[in-house]
Amino acid sequence: MFKSLKFPVVAAVLALSGLATAGPLGIGSTATAEMIAGWDIDVRPDGMGLPDGEGSVAEGEGLYEAKCASCHGLFGEGEGRWPVLAGGEGTLDTLHPEKTVGSYWPYASTLWDYIYRAMPYPVPQSLSHEEVYSIAAYVLYLNDIVGDDFVSNKDTFAEVKMPNEENFFIDNRPDVNNERCFKNCADPSKFEIVTTINGVTPTGHFKEDSGVAANHYDGNPSAVSESGISTEKNITKVALSEGATLGRGVYDMACQACHNSGIAGAPKVGDVAGWVDRIGQGMDTLNDHAINGYQGADGVMPAKGGNMALSDDDVVNAVAFMVESSR
Amino acid sequence: MSSIRIKAKERNGTVDVKTLMKHNMETGLRKKKDGSKIPEHWITDVAAESGGKVVFAAAFNTSISKDPYLAFKFAGKKGDSLKISWKDNTGKTDSAETKVK
Repeated sequence: MFKSLKFPVVAAVLALSGLATAGPLGIGSTATAEMIAGWDIDVRPDGMGLPDGEGSVAEGEGLYEAKCASCHGLFGEGEGRWPVLAGGEGTLDTLHPEKTVGSYWPYASTLWDYIYRAMPYPVPQSLSHEEVYSIAAYVLYLNDIVGDDFVSNKDTFAEVKMPNEENFFIDNRPDVNNERCFKNCADPSKFEIVTTINGVTPTGHFKEDSGVAANHYDGNPSAVSESGISTEKNITKVALSEGATLGRGVYDMACQACHNSGIAGAPKVGDVAGWVDRIGQGMDTLNDHAINGYQGADGVMPAKGGNMALSDDDVVNAVAFMVESSR
Repeated sequence: MSSIRIKAKERNGTVDVKTLMKHNMETGLRKKKDGSKIPEHWITDVAAESGGKVVFAAAFNTSISKDPYLAFKFAGKKGDSLKISWKDNTGKTDSAETKVK
């Protein structure tokens, strides 16, 4: 029933406003400068947006006691669980950080903006510009940031330097820059999955013809070029023989647990330097070690990787896959 | 800047004093992350004088919180001077003076 009533009402409102103004849709009206000023109350760190007016610490003391102290405490210590405004210096990196105006807030502008916008809690935006200047000055005084003779106005307030300002900065950690590729980018449809966990979850893939794993990152930043793709040859794409292609499945199932990450001294697939001497021993030796087990200087190769259900051919194929992927 | 803030107001011949002393009040029992003890550092004595007369005195110990807040009353009038001072276990002292409003 409400729904059916709503439509005629909306239509009537639209018709009325349409008479008063003209616009693309014939609704609304152009905001006047006064209307915009009513909303445009933000104050920026450099002091932009601070209005005219003036207030002193002495005036602020009386106002603070009357309007703020019942919650924030006479000295900014906070009554009950209400916010503490003063103290807490040097506690930010401790087990019990105390975030106050003096210990935490980066800019004094936030103080002015916040008081003007949201305080006092029961009657926000009831304070005049002068009152906010006075109270803000007094809160700064409670934090020993300004002296008791401080008079705050547009100019002096913007110059106040907060103790914790320098601990606010733009995040410069490298892993937060998710830079997009716009030219010469890898085509995701050409990626080929080369390693998996349990034959299901892909863990490695490489770009066609690049010879480089697109996601390769071994924790060595110098090995990563600006494009984010490793310049180090790691997993090289090679045309796999028939046996090696069959061996990939065996590898995913039985071998990659060690040979993907190099556990127990196992040579990693794609680690050319690690494989070159081993390949030099000849395929027969490698196959023999893989099927019958081998105790080397670096570690142990259990017979058939510990999976005795594999046939000799399976193992031979898996060895072929690893060798061909690591040349 | 003094570590002591005082508010003193007279009403019907009684001065209502509220004061906050900024002090760590380390008990000496807390430890740093590396296991070493944080040395004790706490206020031992507080005294309030008005017109050369001690109107309030207190002996603190480690059970008093950080940044101690005190409130007390004494007989006095507007314009009286009030001086509050503390001494801590390392021998440091501080004081602040104000006029009763």
